[in-house]
Amino acid sequence: MTPFRNEPLLELRRASERERLLDALAELDRTLPIAVPTIVAGERRRDADFASVDPGDPERVVAEAAAATQADVDAAVATAGDAARAWGALPATARAAVLARAAGHLRAGRQELAALAVRECAKPWAEADADVCEAIDFLEYYAQEAVRLAAGPALVQLPGERNTLHHRPRGVVAVIAPWNFPIAIATGMTAAGLATGNAVCLKPAEQSPACALALVEALLAAGVPAGAIALLPGEGDVGAALVAHPGVHTIAFTGSGAVGLEILRRAAEPAPGQRHLKRVIAEMGGKNCIIVDADADLEDVVPALLESAFAFAGQKCSAASRALVHERVAGALTERLVGALDTLLVGQAEVFGTDVPPMIEASARERVERYAAGAAEAGATVHRTDAEQVPSGDGFFAAPTLVLAPAADAAVVRDEIFGPLLTVEPVASVEAACELVEAQSHALTGGLFSRNPRTIEAVARRTPVGNLYVNRGSTGAMVGRQPFGGNRLSGTGTKAGGPEYLLHFVEPVVVTENTVRHGLAM
Amino acid sequence: MAELCTDAPTADPAPPQALDAEILALGRRLARGGSRLGRARRAAHDRGMALVARDPQLRAALFRLVDVAPACAGPAELAEHMGAYLAGVERRTAPVAVASRAAVAPAARWAVGRAAIAAVRAIAGRFIVGETPAGAARTLRGLWQHGSAVSVDLLGESTVTPAEGRAYAARCDAALVQLAADAARWPAQPLLERDAAGALPRANLSVKVTALTPLVRAEAPERGRADAADLLRPLLRRARDVGAHLHVDMESMDSRELILDLVLELLSEPEFAAGPSAGIVLQAYLRDAEETLDRVLEWARASGRTPPLTIRLVKGAYWDHETIEAAQHGWVPPVWTEKAESDRCFERVTRRLIDAWADERLVRPAIASHNLRSVAHAVVYARHRGLAAQDLELQALRGLGDDLQDALVAEGLRGRTYCPVGDLVAGMAYLVRRLLENTSDDSFLASRVGGADLDRLLSAP
Repeated sequence: MTPFRNEPLLELRRASERERLLDALAELDRTLPIAVPTIVAGERRRDADFASVDPGDPERVVAEAAAATQADVDAAVATAGDAARAWGALPATARAAVLARAAGHLRAGRQELAALAVRECAKPWAEADADVCEAIDFLEYYAQEAVRLAAGPALVQLPGERNTLHHRPRGVVAVIAPWNFPIAIATGMTAAGLATGNAVCLKPAEQSPACALALVEALLAAGVPAGAIALLPGEGDVGAALVAHPGVHTIAFTGSGAVGLEILRRAAEPAPGQRHLKRVIAEMGGKNCIIVDADADLEDVVPALLESAFAFAGQKCSAASRALVHERVAGALTERLVGALDTLLVGQAEVFGTDVPPMIEASARERVERYAAGAAEAGATVHRTDAEQVPSGDGFFAAPTLVLAPAADAAVVRDEIFGPLLTVEPVASVEAACELVEAQSHALTGGLFSRNPRTIEAVARRTPVGNLYVNRGSTGAMVGRQPFGGNRLSGTGTKAGGPEYLLHFVEPVVVTENTVRHGLAM
Repeated sequence: MAELCTDAPTADPAPPQALDAEILALGRRLARGGSRLGRARRAAHDRGMALVARDPQLRAALFRLVDVAPACAGPAELAEHMGAYLAGVERRTAPVAVASRAAVAPAARWAVGRAAIAAVRAIAGRFIVGETPAGAARTLRGLWQHGSAVSVDLLGESTVTPAEGRAYAARCDAALVQLAADAARWPAQPLLERDAAGALPRANLSVKVTALTPLVRAEAPERGRADAADLLRPLLRRARDVGAHLHVDMESMDSRELILDLVLELLSEPEFAAGPSAGIVLQAYLRDAEETLDRVLEWARASGRTPPLTIRLVKGAYWDHETIEAAQHGWVPPVWTEKAESDRCFERVTRRLIDAWADERLVRPAIASHNLRSVAHAVVYARHRGLAAQDLELQALRGLGDDLQDALVAEGLRGRTYCPVGDLVAGMAYLVRRLLENTSDDSFLASRVGGADLDRLLSAP
């Protein structure tokens, strides 16, 4: 097996690469809207129950999708249960080969897929490309990890007995995926389930059904059995039906904290006739802080904060929402941040160079406006990108926002806003900043800018967050390099893209055989 | 792209190998040349650098110390950092052990910090000629009188806000005025002031596009180009009006297209058809250096602009950055991975630049290297093409190429010293890059300090 390597990003600094992407987008636009069916046992049922739209131009319908019904969910889970037996009985290497082929399909269509993420979710090009690459990475990484897992760990062996540890697939995985990494995260959770021999019922976010369809097409074309992968587009009720279904064994969810907690509650209660405990893998929100020490290089800090807080309009669970800045440099950093706010280009995702694209939907923008207004009313200084620099029209654009020195108990420093809003809070010391982080209920990502190795060591030792980034931005985890996931209310502590992730999709079985016959070890 | 930079035989009038004997002879003279006084002064520093270069961990500790120095509030804080950096050095030689202990001892901490600050300032003072153009005036005049032209580079923190870009442009504008006024009072230096195409301005300023605009986006060069153009245009006008030369530096690959497009577009505007004297930089460590040269020569042919564009040929100072970025993104590095490949590309581009001058008076070649082989090769090739001494410019960096600069003067060649001006905070990134260059394993300077065989270093790469 060749060692895992991340899929290279497109070298967008070369004009030829950019032109290919723009061509792919023009081609995609000619085919819109995309019809997204339910796919159960390979059967497609077309309908136009709901639509996804271009967040930069909501008049443009990207996909018209069929909404899965309770009957679709029941059929999908039943089919998956059957299919899982045959799929799970294959050697891990055979499944890995199928997933690697699916990765190849995504790679072959990477420009088209990136264009789709641009249109359906307003991901700027570089981020859309990274989303495709991460999807490819998940398929290849989990394929390899599943083969490694199948080899089983070494157990202590004594004369006269043979001990083996196998990992068996759990059965049916319900994947409930978000729109913010519309290809990558859906692919990651699905690939983990499939690689370990489970069958998967995928419920994509209602904002991004077309991206999910592209994934399912790639999996089917690569040879995943029709029964082992179902596409169930729809709203929250479809996810709820999957969570409640007694035939589902594992639920892999990435999304909001409220929904995640509801899933954990529901999944804990066995349905009549259910003979297993459901396992929930939940990746939820964050309230991520970047600590800036007095010895930090502000030239590095400013771009990293802008990127971490405002790229993709702050709609990443890893995005920075609080900068905790040593009081000695808080004034200088604030001045440069406020000035640098003007350098952010708020615009359409399809325009190269756009820093802040439109938000996913109107309600998201309204949420940002509400918190920005609330912070100003509460007496904090609020800086926003000039209104004339924010595109007019119907796109869901929100002005990037800096909230300076908000009150310690303000809503804006407590709630996850999931938008382009960053608070800047002076702190007396790095220790004081750590206390603020310690007091939070979320613990997903964190950042630290310091040039003192002892400070870095001390913060690394005490931080509760799942991913701490030192002297760089807090987003952009790479498969295999930065296994990703949060602690506390941010998630179940699982690390996507890491060596332990697949363990959540399998059941361990230990077999101990006595090999002594007539006093001899046979 | 790579095939253009292979070692296929070229149509050079003089095959390069035929020049090797002459290159060797000139290289030996350049290595011996220069003032003994200056060499003795610099020897202690070079020995210190050689010591540091031998231990990668110590080298890293020193760089980190230099890097953090301006951000520390006082000696105690700097000493604390030093203690933490030295703790990571495994080879506990006596000086390392003593410094480590002192840095954490409350009584000695302040004194250690003071000493470290003084050391950083001393290192900076070798590479940076003054805090302001006015403060640098004496040194610049001294260099000129000694026989070397100068180019001033205003060190700046990297620009993250539009206001910082405007402030840098204002400093450049003031520097052009000041330099031109100062230079007007310098004594005549016929070798430095005129080549076959005409007058060479005495006042010469190098500017950085990433200091002009915070809008450099690798995937959207047009954003930064439009922003920088608004600030660069007035600087070109100023340079034209005060009779100064304006040179636009090249930086990493992320801004290469932007800078090239920007400069060629601006110089094509009618108001700059007859001035100022201006220049750009070619980086020979880039695999596509010759393609870029093709483009520039084509532009020069089509534009017919006077005075001719000056092309400073360098190896390139962002090799580590380009290599790391490419590795992290899974890209083919845009730079040659072997130093010898860069050296060969440098010689090929050198010959093409000199040919373009000899045959068409197309662009003014300015060869910027501290590698004696690269320099001697350019000089010998230029002589073979019939160029007079004033028709080839040879550039060296203040602090790093001082011996070479002395030797060039002694040899009657036309040299120019690149002189950074600015305060310690602004100069730190520059300083760290220069220190890296000075102590990197394959650096020509390091091997010279180490007493490596000169003739081997002067042989064809």
